[in-house]
Amino acid sequence: MTVSRVQSGFPSVRNAAYQQLVAERNRFTVIMTVTFLVLYFLLPILAGYAKPLMATKVWGNVTFGYVFAFAEFVMGWVMAAIYVVRARQFDRLAQEAQR
Amino acid sequence: MTFLLAAIIVAITLGITFWAGRRNTSASDFYVAGGRISAPQNGIAIAGDYMSAASFLGITGLIALNGYDGFMYSVGWFIAYLTVLLIVAEPLRNLGKYTLADMLVYRLKDQRVRTYAAVSTIVISAFYMIAQVVGAGALISLLSGGVLKASVAIPLVGVLMIIYVVVGGMLATTWVQIVKAVLLMFATVVMTVLILNRFGWSFSNLLGAAEAKNGADFLGAGLKYKNPIDLISLSLALVLGTAGLPHILVRFYTVPTAQDARKSVVWAMVLIGAFYVMTAFMGNAANVLVGKDAIEAANKAGNMAAPLLAEALFGGKGTFGGELGLAFVTAVAFATILAVVAGLTIAASTSFTHDIYNGVIRRGQATGREEFRVARIATIAVGVIAILLGLLAQTQNVAFLVALAFAIAASSNLPVILFTLFWRRFNATGAIWGIVGGIVTCLVLIALSPNIMGIDPADKTTGRHPIQAAPVFPLENPGIISIPAGFAFAALGTLVGARRRREDAEAAFEEMQFRAYTGAGMDGSVAAHD
Repeated sequence: MTVSRVQSGFPSVRNAAYQQLVAERNRFTVIMTVTFLVLYFLLPILAGYAKPLMATKVWGNVTFGYVFAFAEFVMGWVMAAIYVVRARQFDRLAQEAQR
Repeated sequence: MTFLLAAIIVAITLGITFWAGRRNTSASDFYVAGGRISAPQNGIAIAGDYMSAASFLGITGLIALNGYDGFMYSVGWFIAYLTVLLIVAEPLRNLGKYTLADMLVYRLKDQRVRTYAAVSTIVISAFYMIAQVVGAGALISLLSGGVLKASVAIPLVGVLMIIYVVVGGMLATTWVQIVKAVLLMFATVVMTVLILNRFGWSFSNLLGAAEAKNGADFLGAGLKYKNPIDLISLSLALVLGTAGLPHILVRFYTVPTAQDARKSVVWAMVLIGAFYVMTAFMGNAANVLVGKDAIEAANKAGNMAAPLLAEALFGGKGTFGGELGLAFVTAVAFATILAVVAGLTIAASTSFTHDIYNGVIRRGQATGREEFRVARIATIAVGVIAILLGLLAQTQNVAFLVALAFAIAASSNLPVILFTLFWRRFNATGAIWGIVGGIVTCLVLIALSPNIMGIDPADKTTGRHPIQAAPVFPLENPGIISIPAGFAFAALGTLVGARRRREDAEAAFEEMQFRAYTGAGMDGSVAAHD
């Protein structure tokens, strides 16, 4: 963030809450996006290159592949929940930024 | 009985349409229901837009025929919503009015971008719609046991969809989608409970039965996707393409605030996730209870797996319960087709009217009443064109068009959306290069792929490859090449077009970022929507 050059006519751009909002939100978005892409693409990669592992039974007849796929759904819901909690904090910062 | 239930559903949706028609009196009402849809309603509608006949009938069939690989495909459809939630939903709501082009023009300050963004929207909608309309014809013919031929079913779907959209605008389209999503979830939950009841409330027992019938391969990966790279390419297009699909993006303009946009996606993720988890039960149960041979005998692609499963679960062929189950699921599938086609139509006609007609032809001078009138004419035109193309293509195998729509959305819309939001030096030339480069790369790779090229035996009469030569590009889905290409074109165009003073571009970026992150200037959608 190069702060010094900003002369855009938006007074809040230089407000501390806004600076914090942009920095934190960008960092959060990058971390979350990279995390979910890595966790998700493990599935097609394992399915393509680790077929014996995916077919291994881990709980009754339920294979590792099914457990992993169900875990992806849980991961999706958990990340959505984390996002909602963080977004509420960003909402508060956004309100301050507009003062 | 199927016809009776389908007729009841159509009557309900037409009732909603005429009720909504009385509140559909301006361009903003037509495009985005005046921005007054609530977050839960919008979330259910997003889920409805997404759970098309291709997912409901298609994925159940894929799992029933291919076991685990079909279910793995479900996961990608769900995970795609994380991209939507994390990256696009809220900024889009804060920066736009009706279309993706609004946001790009606001940031890049160049009206040329509007034309290209609109063309991209219309191209994606067109491919998706042809696939849906042709699929609808085949499915309705199949579901009605051949009574309604595809050549009758396609115009029937087209006319109903025109009525929904022209009379009721976005409000009716949203409510039709909500009704259908609720019916679909109801059918899925009831079937899953019945399945679990049959298999001692244990997924393990169900898989055990499937294994006994099909062998151990059925529970592991590899029955359908032989080439790992093809699978990864398809997954990329799914996970990155959803966030660029016009009929999903337009939904974020129908809610009042960014907070509502966020809540809508969470609602959608709960419903879509639950739905796709249940496909694992339905697909495996269809395999065990109906049998692979019976499913393939009804339809090679497996599209009849879900209706036949309902018949088996409710008592079997020839019983009252069995017929009721089959009829209900069939009627729900019909409602699904109608609702999804209506959603695509409104996205295409909004983009045409707001971006091409008002933005480019009338240079932003059209009044609200004029846009409203033109939008309804455009809908009729879009509908008629969709019917004609659907009739022309009805004997072709067009399933790949859905994959193509996702690939174009991921390769042309997503790079431009991301750069607009996060790259301060991004400019209009970059956006135009990205959109055109992404679309062209996808089209060329598809034309050279096994979807279009291939050598058929001389005695094969239907579904022949248009180009009788060995495919040049080996993958079914171009995503793994075309998505990086889209980003590269957008970046290159930005460097080439860096004529505008860099300070101006950065000031526009600061302005955009402020609005994207705080929602400033978007105080309530009623004000924002005139």
